[in-house]
Amino acid sequence: MITRELMAPVMFGGLVVFMLIGYPVAFSLAAVGLFFGFIGIESGYFELALLHALPERVFGIMANDLLLAIPFFTFMGAVLERCGLAEDLLEGMGQLFGPVRGGLAYAVIIVGAILGAITGTVAASVIAMGLISLPIMMRYKYDMQLATGVIAASGTITQLIPPSLVLVVLADQLGRSVGDMYAGAIGPSIVQVLLFCAYVLILSIVRPAAMPALPRDALTLKGWALIGRILWGMVPSLVLIFLVLGTILMGLATPTEGGAMGAVGAIALAAMHRRLTWKLLWEGMDSTMRITAMVIYILIGSTIFSLVFRGVDGDLWIEHMLASLPGGSVGFLIVVNLFVFVLAFFLDFFEIAFIIIPLLAPVAQKLGIDLIWFGVLLGANMQTSFMHPPFGFALFYLRGISPREVKSSDIYWGAIPWVVLQLILVAMLIFWPGMVTYWLEKPVVEEPSKIELQFQTPDYELEAPESAPAEGATPREPGEPPASSNDRAADDIERALKQSR
Amino acid sequence: MNGLLAFSRVIDTVNRHLGKVANWMVLLSCVISAGNAASRYTISVSSNAWLEIQWYMFAAMFMLGASYTLARNEHVRVDIIYGHLSTRAQIWVDIIGGILFLLPATVILAWMSWPIFHNSWVSGEVSPNAGGLIRWPVKIFLPLGFWLLTLQGVSEIIKRVAMLTGHMEANLHYERPLQ
Repeated sequence: MITRELMAPVMFGGLVVFMLIGYPVAFSLAAVGLFFGFIGIESGYFELALLHALPERVFGIMANDLLLAIPFFTFMGAVLERCGLAEDLLEGMGQLFGPVRGGLAYAVIIVGAILGAITGTVAASVIAMGLISLPIMMRYKYDMQLATGVIAASGTITQLIPPSLVLVVLADQLGRSVGDMYAGAIGPSIVQVLLFCAYVLILSIVRPAAMPALPRDALTLKGWALIGRILWGMVPSLVLIFLVLGTILMGLATPTEGGAMGAVGAIALAAMHRRLTWKLLWEGMDSTMRITAMVIYILIGSTIFSLVFRGVDGDLWIEHMLASLPGGSVGFLIVVNLFVFVLAFFLDFFEIAFIIIPLLAPVAQKLGIDLIWFGVLLGANMQTSFMHPPFGFALFYLRGISPREVKSSDIYWGAIPWVVLQLILVAMLIFWPGMVTYWLEKPVVEEPSKIELQFQTPDYELEAPESAPAEGATPREPGEPPASSNDRAADDIERALKQSR
Repeated sequence: MNGLLAFSRVIDTVNRHLGKVANWMVLLSCVISAGNAASRYTISVSSNAWLEIQWYMFAAMFMLGASYTLARNEHVRVDIIYGHLSTRAQIWVDIIGGILFLLPATVILAWMSWPIFHNSWVSGEVSPNAGGLIRWPVKIFLPLGFWLLTLQGVSEIIKRVAMLTGHMEANLHYERPLQ
C-alpha cells in the first residue's frame, strides 16, 4: 500500500495520467477522487464519512447564486454574437480610424475592449470581429499575421475586462467579492489596451507597409453620417455596459442579476436590429445549457478530487512545496505563473480555476498576498490560454471563420507577439500590484472582530444585572463555586476589551 | 445487440427531451433574475421565493442537461493524445472510461445523494428564509440527475460497442465546446 506521505504526490500524478487518457475531464476527476478515496479508506487514512460529505457539496454548488452567472453571461454572449452590435461598432470605428496608418487594427482593439466591457465570453468577440474585420483588412493588404493576431488578441481581452466570467469564477474560488475583483481588473485592462495600441503604433512606424491607411474612396462616411454611425453602435453599448457592469459596481445588482439583465438587454438589442428570431434564441439557450452543464460537472468532479486530496493532506504537501520556494512571495508568484502558463497549453480556464486555484489560494494567503491581486494576476495569465498556438480557443475560432487563403501558420505565428504582450502585462502586475489595488476602495476598518466588539460590550454591561436573577433560578449544586469557569473567562474577555479601548 | 441498441435509443430520447426542459431553464431563470433585480428598485418588491426559484432552475439546468451534453459528446476532454488516436482507439477510450470512470462515480453519487432527498421529503424541509420554498423539489435533482447520467453512460457504452462490432456507423465527432 501507499504510505500516507506518498498519497498526495501519487494522487496528483494519478490526476495527470487519468486526464491525459482523454476521457471527459469532469468524470476523470471524479474517478481519481473516488479511486484514491477508497485506497485511503482501505489504508485507514480517513473514514468513509469523508465521502458522505460529497452530496452536500454538490447541493452547495446548486445553491450557489454566483455560479448562476455562468449561464447568464454565456447566454448574453451567444445572443450578442449574432445581434449585429459588433458590426455597427466596427463599421463606425473603422471609418473613424481608417485614414490613420494601422487604423483598422486600432478599431479592432477598441471594439474588442468595448465588447469586453459588455460581455464576458471570448467566442462572441472573436467570431464577430473576425467575420467583419478580417476580410476588410485583407482587401486593404494588411499583413496577414498582424490582422489575425490583432483580432484574436482583441477578442481575448474580454477575459480580463470586467464583467468577465473568468473573474466571477476566480472570485468564487478565492472567496472574494466579485465587485472587488472587477474593480481590481480595471487598471490592468486599461494597461493592456494601451500596450496593444502601443505595439500597433510601433509597428506602423517600423513596418508601414504592413498596415496601410485606407484610401480616400474607402471612406464612405463623413461628418454627421459618421458621427451618427458611431453613436448607433456606441449608445446601445453604453446602455448595456451600465446595465451589467454599472449596476454591479454600484452595488445595485448582484453579478448574477447583472448578467441576467445583460442577457435581456442583448435580446432587446437583437430585436431592435430586427434579428431576433426564435431560432437565434433557441440556439443560444441550447449551447448555453450544454456549456453550463459541462462547466458545472467539471466543478463537481474537482470537488470530489479536492475533498479526497485534502483528506490525504494534499493541501499541506502543496503548501510545503510552494511556501519553501526561494524569493518569498515574488518567487511563489513567478513559479505559480509559469506553472499556470504551461498548464494553459493543455487546459481551459475553467479546469485551471476549479482544480488548481483551490490548492494555491491558501498558500497565497499565508504568504500575505492580496487575493484580489492574485486573482487578477491569474486572470491575466490565463487569458494567454486562449492564444497559445495551436490549441488556443481564439485561434481555433478564427481558423473556423477565416477564408481559405488565410494559412493556419499565419494565425499561429501572428498570435505569438500578442502572447508576449500579455506576458509583459503579467510581469508588470507581479512587480506593480498598485495597478490592481489602486482601484479597490480602501477598506473602512472592516475587520469583523472590531465591529462586533463595539456592539457586544455595551450589551454585555446592560444585560449583566438582568441575567443574574435568571441564573440564580437554576438550581445550583451545593459546593459548586459561585462563578463557573465560563463566567470567569467572560470576565477576562471583558477586562481585555476595556483595556484595548 | 439490437435489443440493447433499442434500450439505448429509449435512453437517448428521454434525455434529449429532458435536455429541452433544461434549455427552457436558461431563458426562464434569466428573465426571473432580471425581473427580481428590476422589481427590487422600481416597485420595491422582492421575495425570497422568487430568488430561490432562480437556483432551483439552475440546478435543473445542469442536472437534467448533463446527460444530453454527454450524448452530444460535449463534455470537455484533454485532447492532446485523444485527438491523435484512431477512431477505434477513441472508441476504446470511451468504453473503458465509461466503465471505470463515469459509471462508478455516477452510481456512487446517485446512491449517496438519495438520503439527502429522502430526509428532506420526509421532514418536509422548508427554506430557512422567510417566504422561502420547500426544499425537496430541488433536492430530487441530485439522485435523479446522477441516475439519468448513469443511464446515459450505459447508452453511450452500448453505442460504442455497437460501433466496434459494426452494428452502428462509427461517428465520434468531438469538438471542444465553445466558451
